[in-house]
Amino acid sequence: MFGKYDLDLKIKEKELEIVVEGNKKKKRYYRKKGEEEVEKFIYAKEGNLVICPVEPVNLPKEGVSEYLLVELDKPFVIEPGMKGNFYIKFPVEIGVFLVNRRDVERIDIFTFTKPKYTLYGPPERGVVCRWWKSVFYDEKPELSKLYEGLMKVNFENSYWEWVEIKKIVFRAFDMKLFYNEHAYMYSFLKISGKTVGETAFGSRKPKDMEESIDLYQAKGIKKFEKKFFMEWGFK
Amino acid sequence: MNVIELLQDLMNQKIGFLGGRTYGDVLVFLIIIIFSVIIAKIVRINVRRTLKEKVPLTTLNNVEKIVYYGIILIGFIVALPKIGVSLSGLLVAGGILGIVIGFASQTVVSNLISGIFLMIEKPIKVGDGVNINDVSGIVEDIRVLSTTIRTYDGIYVRIPNEKVFSSNIQNYVAHGARRFGYKIGIRYKDDAEKAISIIKDLLGENPFVLKEPSPTIFVEELGESSVNLNIKIWAPSSVWYSVYTEMLWKIKVTLEKEGIEIPFPQRVIWMGNKEG
Repeated sequence: MFGKYDLDLKIKEKELEIVVEGNKKKKRYYRKKGEEEVEKFIYAKEGNLVICPVEPVNLPKEGVSEYLLVELDKPFVIEPGMKGNFYIKFPVEIGVFLVNRRDVERIDIFTFTKPKYTLYGPPERGVVCRWWKSVFYDEKPELSKLYEGLMKVNFENSYWEWVEIKKIVFRAFDMKLFYNEHAYMYSFLKISGKTVGETAFGSRKPKDMEESIDLYQAKGIKKFEKKFFMEWGFK
Repeated sequence: MNVIELLQDLMNQKIGFLGGRTYGDVLVFLIIIIFSVIIAKIVRINVRRTLKEKVPLTTLNNVEKIVYYGIILIGFIVALPKIGVSLSGLLVAGGILGIVIGFASQTVVSNLISGIFLMIEKPIKVGDGVNINDVSGIVEDIRVLSTTIRTYDGIYVRIPNEKVFSSNIQNYVAHGARRFGYKIGIRYKDDAEKAISIIKDLLGENPFVLKEPSPTIFVEELGESSVNLNIKIWAPSSVWYSVYTEMLWKIKVTLEKEGIEIPFPQRVIWMGNKEG
């Protein structure tokens, strides 16, 4: 379902329906997901519709959080100096954009997941994060494509002690999403202390994948802080 | 004599109290001031357009004000010699005048300095929900001399910065999350553990009832007419009020659906027996 479409389309998948119809200039965008309906009119001569995964921190209300906290169903402990990769899943939010040569405009965001928020750190200094629970995988797992995406985590424990990881926090500002039939991200976790680490994202486009539209850039927000410094531990 | 010559004569006419300056000089002075105000306004609009959505609103407001008043001040300094005021003379005169004005405008200076400290310390930002000096509302603007608040009833309130600075400030959104609570009574015959479990499930369904710190629900008191449950919920500060208003009614409805009722105050009366 992810991809670039002409302004004339009909998608029906499970409980989701997306329709763009109309004459040459005036078109109607209609999206239905379960009970939820969105209808908008579009005046356009040219342009396309892009449906792609976006940073999963926008629903049910935008501006509440800029962070994603993935809690692992079981903690894992990393040996000092150890490097490696593992996979986790993350919630998918789907953005619908109108694009032409000059501009990108977001017209809709929806999700099949149930959003839940949590606090990382103490109440006076912590950050509100979108919460998600994932299993920790050695190999690429099966995905429910519109529901969850795949994140490859490249980790490195540069601390001289064993470190136990139960949760990882990512900054949505820094996210680089890619897609083919499912959403994908590639992240880094650098552990520099028993309770201190840093997360960031890779921006190199994987083979056979498209780059998602960056929601913050589409809004005209300049990104200044990128990496996230996890100073309140991994448990 | 035509109109142009008449105007030229007028412009060359000297003004006595301005030490030999002409009407032409005053006109140039006014034109420079007006021009600098226009430029300041244009630059301010462009600064707002460029920086909006790129920097926080408070910073944007401060940058805007510095740019706006800075340009006007430059225009004023450039224009002053046209009316015979030299900058060096102004500085000397300013020194003496400053003392006089200082005494006369203590409150203004106090507000100004408080305003500067507020901008540095930042206990509040534009858009924050606050309570200052018993005025609750949203901070609309933090100016050099005063802070304006839009109360939750939509009323404009201007508070001098001196007062803001010396008052207890409650900022409801300074931290990412905040806690609020309810007290709910259930009947003595109801199962309190079941009620707690129902409420926990309900809170778990709401996206903005934070998972961590998790909500706490416990039997707080065995009251006169009810078993009182205490519910404490953490929510993101930016949306806590909508969660607060939404959840109370949902708890009531869900408990009733499960056969648990919130009792009215009641008193058991034992009627005495006449013969006894």
